[in-house]
Amino acid sequence: MSETPPPAAARRSGAARRVLRNPLGLGSALVLAVIVAAVLLAPVLSPQDPDLASLRDSFGGPGPGHPLGLDSAGRDIASRLLYGGRATLGGAVLAVLVALAAGVPAGLLAGYRGGRVDAAANWVVNLVMALPAMVVLLACRAILGPTVWVLMVVLGLLVAPAFFRLVRGIVAGVRNELYVDAARVSGLSGTRIVARHVLVVVRGPIIIQTALVAGIAIGLQAGLEFLGIGSGSAPTWGAMLNEAFKNIQRAPGMIVWPGLALGLTNASLVLLAAALRDALEDRGTPPARRRPRPPKAAPPPGGEPGRAGLLSVRGLTVAYALADGRSKQVVHGVDLDVRAGEIVGLVGESGSGKTQTAFSILGILPEGGHVGAGSVTVEGLEIVGLPERAHRALRGNAVAYIPQEPMSNLDPSFTVGAQLMEPMRHRLGISRAEARRRALDLLRMVEITEPERVFGSYPHEISGGMAQRVLIAGAMSCDPGLLIADEPTTALDVMVQAEVLGLLRRLQRERGLGVLLVTHDLGVVADVCDRVAVMHDGRIVETDTAEQVLSDPRDPYTRRLLGAVLDHAPARAPWQPAAEETV
Amino acid sequence: MLNFVARRLAAGAVLLFVISFLSYLLLSVPHLDVGRQLLGSGAAQDLVDAKNAELGLDRPVPARYADWLAHAVRGDLGTSWFTGEDVRQAVGTRLPVTASLMIGVLLVTAAVSLLLGVWAGVRRGPADRLVQMLGVAGYALPGFLVTLVIVVVFAVRLGWFPAIGYTGLTESVPGWLSTITLPVLSLSLAGVAGVSQQVRGAVIDVLRQDYVRTLRARGLPPSRILFRHVLRNAAAPALTTLSLQFVGLLGSSVLVEQIFGLPGIGSMTVTYTTRGDIPVIMALVMVTVVLVVAVNLVVDVLIGWLNPRARSV
Amino acid sequence: MKKTSRGAAIVAAGAAAAAVLTGCAGSGGAKGGTDALNIATLTLPQSLDPADANGSAMPFFQAVYDTLIKREADGSYSPMLATKWEYDTDRTELRLTLRDGVKFDDGTPFDATAVKANMERFVKKTGAQAKTLKGVKAITVADKTHLALKLAQPDPAMLFYLSDAAGLMANPAAFAKPGDPLKTRPDGTGPYDLDAKKSAIGTRWVYSRAQNYWGTKLPYDSVTISYFDNETAIVNGIRTGQIDAAVLQDADQQAGIESVPKIVKTKQEFDFQGLVLFDRAGVRTPALRDPRVRQALNYAIDRKTMLAKLRQGRGEATSQIFGTGAAGYVKELDGYYAYDPAKARDLLKQAGQAGGFTLKLPRVSAIVPDALASSLQTDLGAVGVKVAWDNVDGGAIRRIFTERGYSAMVMNLGQPTTDWLAISDYVLPGAFNMFGYTDDTVKGLLPKIQAAEAGGAKAELRALNEHLVKDAWFVPFYRMSYLHVSDGTVKITPQSGMAVPSLYDYAPAK
Repeated sequence: MSETPPPAAARRSGAARRVLRNPLGLGSALVLAVIVAAVLLAPVLSPQDPDLASLRDSFGGPGPGHPLGLDSAGRDIASRLLYGGRATLGGAVLAVLVALAAGVPAGLLAGYRGGRVDAAANWVVNLVMALPAMVVLLACRAILGPTVWVLMVVLGLLVAPAFFRLVRGIVAGVRNELYVDAARVSGLSGTRIVARHVLVVVRGPIIIQTALVAGIAIGLQAGLEFLGIGSGSAPTWGAMLNEAFKNIQRAPGMIVWPGLALGLTNASLVLLAAALRDALEDRGTPPARRRPRPPKAAPPPGGEPGRAGLLSVRGLTVAYALADGRSKQVVHGVDLDVRAGEIVGLVGESGSGKTQTAFSILGILPEGGHVGAGSVTVEGLEIVGLPERAHRALRGNAVAYIPQEPMSNLDPSFTVGAQLMEPMRHRLGISRAEARRRALDLLRMVEITEPERVFGSYPHEISGGMAQRVLIAGAMSCDPGLLIADEPTTALDVMVQAEVLGLLRRLQRERGLGVLLVTHDLGVVADVCDRVAVMHDGRIVETDTAEQVLSDPRDPYTRRLLGAVLDHAPARAPWQPAAEETV
Repeated sequence: MLNFVARRLAAGAVLLFVISFLSYLLLSVPHLDVGRQLLGSGAAQDLVDAKNAELGLDRPVPARYADWLAHAVRGDLGTSWFTGEDVRQAVGTRLPVTASLMIGVLLVTAAVSLLLGVWAGVRRGPADRLVQMLGVAGYALPGFLVTLVIVVVFAVRLGWFPAIGYTGLTESVPGWLSTITLPVLSLSLAGVAGVSQQVRGAVIDVLRQDYVRTLRARGLPPSRILFRHVLRNAAAPALTTLSLQFVGLLGSSVLVEQIFGLPGIGSMTVTYTTRGDIPVIMALVMVTVVLVVAVNLVVDVLIGWLNPRARSV
Repeated sequence: MKKTSRGAAIVAAGAAAAAVLTGCAGSGGAKGGTDALNIATLTLPQSLDPADANGSAMPFFQAVYDTLIKREADGSYSPMLATKWEYDTDRTELRLTLRDGVKFDDGTPFDATAVKANMERFVKKTGAQAKTLKGVKAITVADKTHLALKLAQPDPAMLFYLSDAAGLMANPAAFAKPGDPLKTRPDGTGPYDLDAKKSAIGTRWVYSRAQNYWGTKLPYDSVTISYFDNETAIVNGIRTGQIDAAVLQDADQQAGIESVPKIVKTKQEFDFQGLVLFDRAGVRTPALRDPRVRQALNYAIDRKTMLAKLRQGRGEATSQIFGTGAAGYVKELDGYYAYDPAKARDLLKQAGQAGGFTLKLPRVSAIVPDALASSLQTDLGAVGVKVAWDNVDGGAIRRIFTERGYSAMVMNLGQPTTDWLAISDYVLPGAFNMFGYTDDTVKGLLPKIQAAEAGGAKAELRALNEHLVKDAWFVPFYRMSYLHVSDGTVKITPQSGMAVPSLYDYAPAK
């Protein structure tokens, strides 16, 4: 999303805790810890020397001194498992370290510097990827000797491109985004921003990739042993697995232990990686019990006196399901009305619940969020408890949405024209040519000077202000009666802000629209709003005409809000990370 | 676009040259004593020396490489030291086997991963857990064990499919399908495990994008948003994973080829490299490089087509 | 995106469905009837040029070429391209009478000149078996069907050679052609022709019946030999009936297929496994010069346990290198060295090696699995001989044979029924006696053995065997039994003295 992630350190401790709270994360971390500890303590835990063989006793079952029995050479399976883990896991660690050391710095450099450095690095990476792995492995083995360490170093080098590509891709993407950012936030050097952001963004994928590469390294050892490209006489789980396979008729049970060690380790690695990723990127599986049924609509629509015909909200509550199964209410009983031809400002700080209120009217609350109680009527129709399909029919036609961040709200893969035409063709059922004509009209209407060019452009080819106009055009495309604008000017610079507000105002007047303008910017309110509702902590604390609220606020919170604006009076409100919007 | 493809092809040609030299060097450094391998360990030393001389192994490596290159650019890849067959023919008869295998695996992996990944990413909850578990199983189980179980169950016990061998597509289509099904199944499991996770992650990421919310706010139905917008944006990372998977397949197909007795280039690479049959391996190396370059090119073009931003960068 | 993915899914689903529908028919149809024979092998022929023919690859050649002499399954010789052969009295001239009227496919007649051309080329080419005709000084063609081989000295194995690689007769018209066409387009008088269209050299060779074969037809219209690099695939193929016949060497694979009822199994003991002591002269390991040290090594190892555990009992413990079919074989010598570590320590003490010594051994992991490596280490270690294994996988064979870097090596070696083959490979100076060691007893016995016909000087052969065992030239472990398996449609007669049956040894089961 558009928000800057909070400082890495703060999130990291949270991530660790989140991983351990996730039962799978905790379980796999525990299993791995036990395995690593056991392998490290092999000299203490092993019943005997892993190479001590007694052919007479080979294939012996579990007994005193040999808890897991003996292998085909009469060596103690438990001891070999413990010592074998050293070469196996040590080898995997080595492969990962080599891959990280070779792939990550190169990826950072190539992604950040771009140009020739990038081209050169890419060529080398293509070379490594195209190298026939088997030939390289076999040749290095023949030259350097058949040990697990040689195989793992070679493997590390061969998989380094995976890290390189991953890091390079992310860094290149972040760099492009941050040039915009860096220009906005003056004072911080671009390098420092990139470094800080890169660390945060790249960390998660690298951890996951690391776990996967470790798993691949362990699996590959086993595969190579099977092909007869073994790692000499040192015990490894792969060698044990292969030995068991070679004697599968004689002692079918022997395959269990190395198979289990290998499988458990790999499974734990993948699960831990998944838990880490979910914690870092915050996309864990939500408890996702069935979405709670919305309450049946309370009062009959329009019956109650004082409710506006266009939009009327009464006693609305919004809640989010938490990971532990409980739910947390973020909006507590909001009342709100918007009449046709009226601009209502919904004002409040970040986290006050204003965006949640707007989203529940549109029916686009994010995952886990739901309307708990209350009534919302749009053009007299109750939408709380309305089936999704019927609710969807209102969106676009009756109520439309203008988002905050223009760039991130356009699909980067489609042209502006395609994105404008799609809802019209779908909702209004008009022909392609007709949709095209109307889309160009819309672009003209939002005061875009070269509609044809913008129509054929991709979002990354137009400016932020232009994109916001396109989004306004999109909102107007199916001729709605109610417009919900969520901080429509916040992401724009001052000049453009004024233009966009003017445009909104003009459209509202010409078409007699009702507008719910969600904003934290009292200057905007003063400019365009007829009435204002001030929101704080999920509640409306004051509702009145704009004049009244701005000149004579009654609620202490409103007064504080106004005071802050007057004291600092920034040209444009400083952007703040908003926990509410990142949900 | 044409310019891009041309540049990439030129880079590929340079790559081919560099890798051929590196490989020749790597193959020549360990002295595999090809002569003795050919004549058996009991052969007299003078005969072995004569055999090595006959193969040109008494000459310095750069000279041998130059010789090989001079013939190779004219399309003459020589004959195998160990089976006497024409190298082009030898690789030509085995390439279709591995190619069938890989195309089959890519199709199955792409299709199944897409279904599972999207299902998990959109539905979340139990579906998500199930797909994640499948992924874990795919990673945790050693590939050759899975393959062995598949052969024993579906070929030996149930007799639904042949246990070994390959029937060419041109010989018989049903025969080809029946010989290729189990190997493709065995190889796809790990691929599906990896790629479906990638698709799931990408779908979840895209679903959280602001523009998806805006599309919902425009009243578009979820299915349309999913198929038109989410999948298209999620495709690039999935394609990249798939192309990496392909490169990996070139290596991992050897296990499956051996167990199913498939005469493909995977098992060929291992057997001929351990023996040191340089003419054959060099041809295999060339084929591998061409395949990798081609697949990467195709994937990059596809990604460019799907994602206009990558196109202009 | 939507379209492609859906398309892919449909294709995949269709493929799976079609495969399920056709799968049964496919595998059923592949079953061999009496008209076709499918053999699986782990041996890759270097080419189909007789000059490259060698040991286990013989069936590939027997399909296309005839040998001068036919070797029957029991090891006896019968006429093939040669109808008669006789030695002069001092056994240095072998006179051959050839079959008249045999022609190659292009009409070139098979005659004495062709034989001479074949043999001269065979020696000149650097093939693995070229050494077998090294002792032929001159070849004199008497007329179209008669020729004589003049030998430098008597060679009791000469008839064997003529029934083997050296006896394969190719069309001399192909010799002069550029690029050695015989390598991939064999041209002989044999019972089959290579079907180049159906064959894929390197993986599958398909032979179809030659139209005008001069001799008795073999029972199969076509023979397919498929190469596999592992026995797992072969066992699966036998079990599904896709392969008709194969030899299994691996003990566990044998055990796996034994329980399957429809499979027909025939046991054969051929190779022995053991430690070949190259350095009896003590060049690298001085301790080995003393016979008592070599005997100690023999007493130190526990053959019975090794056989039971390493080969799952499939084979016979032995102390001699001669196989049961050889004239020099002495049954009593199998158990000559019983496991006796105390005696071993005693012998070492007598030899002045009470402190023990280190024996560095090369290890090829395909021959020496972990269990064998560690059991030798344990057994020999128990009497004070420290075994140090050097892994020589991937290109270090050079260190063994060319640089003569090791004093001994664990090997799997054949036990031919022709005694002289074993003697010339294992006893005479050569690759397996690389330091050229010999002693007076051996020097005394060899001339008598060499001058007699194969297996003729039985007393001397037995004496030689006894000497080799008692003087401990080798540390044999056991003869390994191999298992001939067929899916029930083929009757296999094992070829005496060969690990792989000749092509003539397969017949449809009744």
